[in-house]
Amino acid sequence: MNEAQGLQIDWAGLAPMIIVFAAAFGGLLVEATVPRARRLPVQVALAVAALAAAFIAVVLNSGKNAAAFAIEGTGLGSVVLDGPGLFLQGTLAILAIVAVLLLAERRTTRGGDFVAEAAVVADSAADRAQQREDGATEIFPLTLFAVGGMMMFVTAGDLLTMFVALEMLSLPLYLLCGLAKRRRLISQEAALKYFLLGAFASAFYVYGMAMLYGFAGTVDLAGINRAGVSSGQPRMFLYLGVAMIAVALLFKAAAVPFHMWTPDVYTGAPTPVTALMAACVKVAAFGGLLRVFNVGLASSAWDWHLILTIIAVATMIGGAIFAVTQRNIKRLLAYSSIANAGYLLVGVIALGDAVGQTMFYLAAYGFTVIAAFAVVSLVRDGDEEATHLARWAGLGKKSPATAVVFTVLMLALAGLPFTSGFTAKFSLFAAALQADELGLVIVGVVSSAILAFPYLKVVVLLWLNEPAPDAPTVNLPSPMAGTVVAAGVAATILLGVAPGPLLDIVDQASVFLNT
Amino acid sequence: MIELAQAASTGEAVFFWILAPIALGGAVGLILARSAVHAALMLAITMMCLAVFYIMQAAPFLGFVQIMVYTGAIMMLFLFVLMLFGRDSKDSMFETLRGQRFFAICLGIGLAALLSAGLARAVSGMTMAPEAPWATGAQSNVEAIAEALFSTYLFPFEVVSGVLTVAAVGALMFAHVAKKGGHRGQKEHSRERFAPGVYPGPRPGPGVFATSDSTATPALRPDGSIEPASLSEYVPPRQLTAAETAPKHTEGREG
Repeated sequence: MNEAQGLQIDWAGLAPMIIVFAAAFGGLLVEATVPRARRLPVQVALAVAALAAAFIAVVLNSGKNAAAFAIEGTGLGSVVLDGPGLFLQGTLAILAIVAVLLLAERRTTRGGDFVAEAAVVADSAADRAQQREDGATEIFPLTLFAVGGMMMFVTAGDLLTMFVALEMLSLPLYLLCGLAKRRRLISQEAALKYFLLGAFASAFYVYGMAMLYGFAGTVDLAGINRAGVSSGQPRMFLYLGVAMIAVALLFKAAAVPFHMWTPDVYTGAPTPVTALMAACVKVAAFGGLLRVFNVGLASSAWDWHLILTIIAVATMIGGAIFAVTQRNIKRLLAYSSIANAGYLLVGVIALGDAVGQTMFYLAAYGFTVIAAFAVVSLVRDGDEEATHLARWAGLGKKSPATAVVFTVLMLALAGLPFTSGFTAKFSLFAAALQADELGLVIVGVVSSAILAFPYLKVVVLLWLNEPAPDAPTVNLPSPMAGTVVAAGVAATILLGVAPGPLLDIVDQASVFLNT
Repeated sequence: MIELAQAASTGEAVFFWILAPIALGGAVGLILARSAVHAALMLAITMMCLAVFYIMQAAPFLGFVQIMVYTGAIMMLFLFVLMLFGRDSKDSMFETLRGQRFFAICLGIGLAALLSAGLARAVSGMTMAPEAPWATGAQSNVEAIAEALFSTYLFPFEVVSGVLTVAAVGALMFAHVAKKGGHRGQKEHSRERFAPGVYPGPRPGPGVFATSDSTATPALRPDGSIEPASLSEYVPPRQLTAAETAPKHTEGREG
């Protein structure tokens, strides 16, 4: 039937997502068949191999600029393989490999950061008994499902596909957030909070999708863009639709005032999951935002420009100011991720001129923040992470190597020269200037200056303060977390010193199909 | 509004104005109902009204799926879960944040007013879409859905299976506790009982040959010493006072 209608499917183009989803289902079969003791190596190998294969498939697809499904040569909008989509898919695959290695870390604390059986009542006798057991290995298939959803999210060419991708990426993350082994009640609270607010955001998304369908008569992004010029329907539908969809996407991107969940979820979730969220979800959310606003809503830019500018300013300033007052390293990184969402929003508002630079920023920030969370997971008081900043005082005297690494990462996040943070911010703000967004750039620079203060405070704390007698220990990481830190620091320095090659790639990959 | 009212047939309009208040009432009742069972039934009313709306809009497939899947399967599942947790459980009316409910109600009504004002304005200027082929009978409704599902939305349709799988896995992870050590049957128990070094006979009950029948009072052997097997591991052994060890004259004689 399909063949008779002439449905052409670009299997090679779909391959990255199909590989990841197939490996996720395969991982569930591994759970069912392989004995418990041997599951971890099998799952990690499967996940890393699948993500590496997906990355290779993305690279082989590079240069593609077409819809994955077509009937008699006319592209159907559901999955669109174009420059930004493929670049972000590749970025997601690489960042996900790094995140999976961090998920697999088992040496810094016995059995890892994940609970063996989440159904056991927290703090009961059975829960204390399972403290020494290895964590559940279902986290790997769940992570693959989430990553597959993210890869679909950045290539979704219509709102309906994007919604399915949104659910696919969110649902496993809600579960992963509640699986911490220590401080389980806080972890479960974080999962519940994220789930309820996320479900709320999804409802907003569907409502907005209905409004936009009423306006344009289609959920296809390119069709909505055409309708922005030619539709005879009242523009009120467009306003309501854009507002609702923006609420849902900005919630995932953690922009003020939809950021309330971020600090609590970042603190409550197991640190490897926090790293996954800070790096990969940010890439996916902004990939979706870039596509919706560039492809679907470019023709109605005048209608949403002001409100999005206000949100960007609030996010940049709010995130930076709240970051200054934090005493907990995970909360500090959470608020800094909110401020960074503000800078990325500047790239979204600048539309076509800044797509490439926004993607560069996403890649650079992802590597830095994953490594930062990996270091956080190494510094421990006994079995628990020492997240209070005061506990980090004088770490440079006790374990200089860790302190040097963390200093580099903090300087990159603060945006100092010769780090990826500087090149990313510089190119993003330069592109925004070209798009005549002078006001936003000024706010961005002021916000960066405020945000540099808490980072530099951490650096001072690391090197110039005296360590407490009962200072936390820096646990020796296994090759897993070691690779994560090394990859993150290498990318941070490399993209700071020689950003040329990657900037060339994003430059070539910065044009969406149908814009 | 006028344009739309004219476009709709009289029968459609009558049904709409009868069912719309019921659907809306069900939705409001869902929020106001204290008991979870009432809320679920209210939701079912709204769902059924929506199903009739779908059928009226020339989408019979969607309408019947709505009845079968939502009011049939999902709502019943919902009620099963409520029964398992106890149907008497009610919402806690305790406010953790002072004044939260007041502000939430204000903001909720504000958002609803904003949306309905905008929609009312928008709907009045709306133009009718040309009639779809399945509404005129040129193509069947099911065929049109199948065409969309297996061409344009093929990929998301397949990925939905992943979403459902994750939901099932998640429910299992957060609800199922694996039994540790496996099941021990009669054979294992019997072997254990007759293993060397284990006394196979029945254990003495508490209070045997003792002056009190409390579980905390150990059994005494014929020679007067304490039989350790009669001591419960959960009840702390009691040191008896002199008054308690004295004969209680249970023989019915004085002295």
